[in-house]
Amino acid sequence: MSENGLRVTLLDTATGEPREAELLSSITEKQLTDVEGEWKPALYDRFREFNRAGKPPTEWPGTENKHWDWRQKVEKLQGLLSHDGYCLTCQGMTEGLMLIDTSSYRCRLPENEKRNLVYIDYVESAPWNRPELEQVPRYRGIGSILVGAAIERSIAEEFKGRIGLHALPQAEPFYSATCGMSDLGRDDTKQGLRYYEMTAAQAEAFIAKGNNR
Amino acid sequence: MATKRTMTLNLTDAEMSVVEDFSARKDMSKTAVLRQALRLYQLLEARVEKGDKLYVENEATKDKAEIMMV
Repeated sequence: MSENGLRVTLLDTATGEPREAELLSSITEKQLTDVEGEWKPALYDRFREFNRAGKPPTEWPGTENKHWDWRQKVEKLQGLLSHDGYCLTCQGMTEGLMLIDTSSYRCRLPENEKRNLVYIDYVESAPWNRPELEQVPRYRGIGSILVGAAIERSIAEEFKGRIGLHALPQAEPFYSATCGMSDLGRDDTKQGLRYYEMTAAQAEAFIAKGNNR
Repeated sequence: MATKRTMTLNLTDAEMSVVEDFSARKDMSKTAVLRQALRLYQLLEARVEKGDKLYVENEATKDKAEIMMV
């Protein structure tokens, strides 16, 4: 992928029509402003609705990563070759973000033990695209495109498509069923989150599925 | 990915042997190995510059040893 971006397609769920989007291997001030000015208010709007509906905060979906501060994360990793950011934009709005680490993690699956992989540190869709927050999410396909970008990066780094991540509970079915990753169970060193890993063969299968995910 | 530039690297036999060994063990080209090494070196240097200390831990015994970066 060039720094100028890659054209990709999202599904507009309201119309059922494809929407042209752009995948970029960078996170700029524009993305951080979108998160702070659009994502956060939209998320808290949903929380306000849950509150007014009498739902106790412990039952609100989408709270697991409400504390994520993308500006802080990006600034902390600025200039480090070991980390990279990706963004997905559509019609001038940031729809998804991902931070990856290409150096610090190794495979845990016995068949690839200690081999290099691309580790997805953080990945997030805009609140209006998240099925746990919206009955009809605005766009579909964001998670798959970002996971696909991590796989492509893994191939470019000669890691053969191997990727790994710790999943938030609401995203577990996506990584196991949609992405076909191996579930290696709870990891007590990462707040008990489940760890998922993708082998080269699983990466090949994921790419071969294309838009049929 | 960014545009790539080429450089000539002069290594001793011993150094080249290490690069070749990593390349074989990790099933990666020598270029990919050196790229990884540079990333890791920069990451560790950045942490040390900040005042952090580096430790390695034996998973079985939990013995920790500090790595001195100069």
